[in-house]
Amino acid sequence: MSTRRQWLKILRGAQMMLFYLVVITLVFVIIGPVFFVVSLSFLSAREAYSYPLPLLPALTVRYQLTHGERGYMLSVYDRVEKEYIPVLDTDDLEKMATYMRSRLGTSVTVQDIEAQIARLQQEDPVYFTKRANLLHNYTTFFQITRDAVPSLIRSLQICALTILISLSIGGMAGYAFARYQFAGRDLLKFSALFVRMFPGIAIALPMVIILAKMGFYDRPIGLSLVYAVGNIALTVWITASIFMGIPESLEEAAEVFGATRLQAFLRITLPLALPGLAAAAMYAFLGAWNETVAALILTQFNPTFSVVVYQSLVGATGQINLAAAGGIVMAIPTVTFTYFIRRYIRQMWGGVTL
Amino acid sequence: MATLELIHVTKRFGKKVVAVDDFSLRVEDGEFLVLLGPSGCGKTTTLRMIAGLEEVTEGRILIDGEDVTDLPPRKRNVSMVFQNYAVWPHMTVYDNIAYPLRLKRVDKKTIDETVREAARMTKIEELLDRYPSQLSGGQQQRVAVARALAVKPKLFLMDEPLSNLDAKLRVATRTELKAIHEKTGATTIFVTHDQSEAMSLADRIVIMRDGKIEQIGTPDDVYHRSASIFVADFIGTPPTNFIDVEVQVRDDQIHLVNPYFDFPLNPENAAKLRDYPKRELILGVRPENIVLVSEDEAIFSTQCLVSEPQGSHQIIAIELDGKIIKIVAPAYPKVRSGETIHLNFKQEAIAFFDKDTGRRIE
Amino acid sequence: MTAQRKSAHLGKRITPYLLVIPVFIYYLIFWVQPVLQQVIRSFLDPTTGQLSLESYRLVLTDPDFIPALRNTAIIVVISVTMEFFIALFLALIIKRDFWGASIFLFLAMLPMALPPVAVGAMWKTGLTTNGWLNSLLHYVGFLPEGEKIYWLAGSTWKMLALIIIIDAWQVIPSVMIILLAGLQNIPKELEEAGYVFGGNYFTVLRKITLPLLRPTIQTAVVLRLIAAIQIWLIVIVLVGFSRLPVLVERIVYYHEEVPRLNISPQMAAGYTMIVTVIVSLAALIYLRLSGAFSRREGG
Ligand SMILES: Nc1ncnc2c1ncn2[C@@H]1O[C@H](COP(=O)(O)OP(=O)(O)O)[C@@H](O)[C@H]1O
Ligand SMILES: [Mg+2]
Repeated sequence: MSTRRQWLKILRGAQMMLFYLVVITLVFVIIGPVFFVVSLSFLSAREAYSYPLPLLPALTVRYQLTHGERGYMLSVYDRVEKEYIPVLDTDDLEKMATYMRSRLGTSVTVQDIEAQIARLQQEDPVYFTKRANLLHNYTTFFQITRDAVPSLIRSLQICALTILISLSIGGMAGYAFARYQFAGRDLLKFSALFVRMFPGIAIALPMVIILAKMGFYDRPIGLSLVYAVGNIALTVWITASIFMGIPESLEEAAEVFGATRLQAFLRITLPLALPGLAAAAMYAFLGAWNETVAALILTQFNPTFSVVVYQSLVGATGQINLAAAGGIVMAIPTVTFTYFIRRYIRQMWGGVTL
Repeated sequence: MATLELIHVTKRFGKKVVAVDDFSLRVEDGEFLVLLGPSGCGKTTTLRMIAGLEEVTEGRILIDGEDVTDLPPRKRNVSMVFQNYAVWPHMTVYDNIAYPLRLKRVDKKTIDETVREAARMTKIEELLDRYPSQLSGGQQQRVAVARALAVKPKLFLMDEPLSNLDAKLRVATRTELKAIHEKTGATTIFVTHDQSEAMSLADRIVIMRDGKIEQIGTPDDVYHRSASIFVADFIGTPPTNFIDVEVQVRDDQIHLVNPYFDFPLNPENAAKLRDYPKRELILGVRPENIVLVSEDEAIFSTQCLVSEPQGSHQIIAIELDGKIIKIVAPAYPKVRSGETIHLNFKQEAIAFFDKDTGRRIE
Repeated sequence: MTAQRKSAHLGKRITPYLLVIPVFIYYLIFWVQPVLQQVIRSFLDPTTGQLSLESYRLVLTDPDFIPALRNTAIIVVISVTMEFFIALFLALIIKRDFWGASIFLFLAMLPMALPPVAVGAMWKTGLTTNGWLNSLLHYVGFLPEGEKIYWLAGSTWKMLALIIIIDAWQVIPSVMIILLAGLQNIPKELEEAGYVFGGNYFTVLRKITLPLLRPTIQTAVVLRLIAAIQIWLIVIVLVGFSRLPVLVERIVYYHEEVPRLNISPQMAAGYTMIVTVIVSLAALIYLRLSGAFSRREGG
């Protein structure tokens, strides 16, 4: 009897291990690619284009300096080849410093180099180590992409407006959906499908003209009006689901004690729905923040942040390590919000089905 | 049918919550056993461990002498009526009852016969083609019972199956459940927090408190020989009255003394306290064991606070030592509020409880 | 008194309409209007302004049309099926509420949070010969020194497979969260009753959990179906225009890549209409076949 128990224990332990093995594999598949992009965003330009790509950024960079044909020969230690590779031969110290900053990601001044050259008198070659500036790509991204900061602000405006429009208009309809029976209720529900059936890109073009007529073209409000179309439909579902989760009897109780329907909603239902609505707002944020294609078509001189990141990727100046840094910056708010949203999945999606 | 044994069963949720604590019990073949206790005392958890829905932290569970502690629910051959019925909404009533039999690979003809038999017993024959959403709560409850009956289980588990019904239906269904049990003789574990339900259904009652067994006994045992203050207070409406008293020995007799009364115990009661070391204890008297008597037979007199006529009897409330004491008296003569009444205890039916442990003093 | 009551009643009756009218007005201006414009355009000759079916003739005789239709169909059928099963698998895992489930849920949702353009770029940089995918395979010892896999070269089938996998990586979370919400909404006693009455994990899943999840599955799949037919971004990020034509990629191609060609506006309009018709039909057929219109349990 007790040996059977032991066997069962072992069996269950094995099952458990298998289960966690599956889970861990899945985790690797999911975050593996993300890991490489994060890592890429910390790599120096030289390493970002090397093969095999280093898994982790170097914390320090080891240099070798000696006399070269044109002046001084700078070599840098390659972690993969495990030897010093010559990278620059020049007598222009300014150029060398710039090279060490932008290509190799170390903060070096001309004085630093002069100090090393002085050492060449005693020993040749000289070796020295510099701390890698891990945030180099991030600072560079914001320096060389002129539009980065204004576009970031613009994107935030667009998201705020999109949330405002879709949560107010969609939220009202969602409340009606949750609390009332009315003609057109099914139409409202299925509109979430309808508005997705027509290719978004095909709507963007006529929208240029419509927005231009309204004077909203190339302005944040214009884009948020477009984003809100798809968002409202989802917001109706999500808010309806949230309101369904709050018993109507709570409102009725308030009404019995003398509140109007509106007061009951504002004082009872809204505070209870607030966390769920916040999650819905964040969900709307994800869509508006990440959208790039309509933004490309509907902006001209005032791009969104996603457009700026996109252009840093495809543009002539594109460097994948810089683009990766831009992408990571872009992902910071969305990932943060996702962390919050995950607790409200049931509230957001549990109520409404076709 | 079958016997069930729980041997030192303990269930912990996480490190802190001990839902069931060192629970040992033997249920005999064909017995109707009721788990009774206030909400949160671990009744559902115990039942779910028996069903195999909850893992046992420590201890063993035997059905018919076979250790089932580590078996999954499907291998235990038990059936269960859930508190919210758990009738499958996507199946008709017929399929709800038939599905467990199909899982057990019973042949079609037998299934049909069994379903109809169970439906007849629970009086839901006309509902067989309906979906649960078309049924009332009471009808869903019957479907849940029929489903549980149809599989002819070794053990029949019920978790507060009547608590979602209205008062009248609850009492009626209770009688039917009892009748069904008489007919099938299935070993049954029935969970409830309603003591009158427990009293009317049970062969034996297990009273639980904070995950532990407080008393096991027949309805008579737990009512007349309550093992603790907790049980005496939990069982019976109105509950037992508790009065703080002091034990004094005078003229070779044991007296119970209180600012309101001072009376000698009869020999049987005196025997229980002869070797009791402490001077203070708690006297427990059920409301019907305080009797209205004439002034010279009384051990104390007081004013009636309120009286509630109940038709067949009246409930009189008096105040004693700042506490309300309730008395169940015959309907006549009617006692009015403010009226002075003379009272005595039925000595053969009083109980003593230890002030510190709350246990009964024998 | 009665007049007052009547008006109160009327107030109650019109409240929902007051609440939903803004949505419909909004749709009218910002969705119906541009859509109608596009629909009308597809029936007009751009030079003469006459009624014409030229757009449709152009599309249907386009040598890329059949390949685009075929590629889209392959992608849709495989993606939607595969994504549904993986998403369901993930949701079932998370529902088990194991130690670390909450963090796992967060990680599983991560791909959904990332900007599609950045994700496209992530894979693009991963799939180049010197990319991180080859680097990774090199580190784990799968690729010997000097050998490389040419991910982005090769047959249509290989490209399709890559696109399907990469697209799945990003969109599975959005399917998963809907299924998870549905699963969490099923009272646990319904499944427990299944176990008590003799079911094992798979019978309970098949006979109780999935049937109860059906409305949720229909919702998740139809939303996914609609989106999957309109796949294009990942295609052009990975392989560029025209190499692996898919329907919406054709619209974008004529809009953005060669907008100055004579036939471009008509091509774009024609493809747009055809995509819309296909999407609507697919959604309708799926909902009909899966029985969404004839649900008898009736809540
Ligand atoms: N899944 C669980 N996780 C943590 N604590 C639980 C769980 N289920 C029950 N408990 C706790 O165990 C105790 C007993 O619960 P339960 O058996 O449901 O009581 P009863 O059915 O008698 O009302 C309670 O304190 C309850 O909070
Ligand atoms: Mg309970």
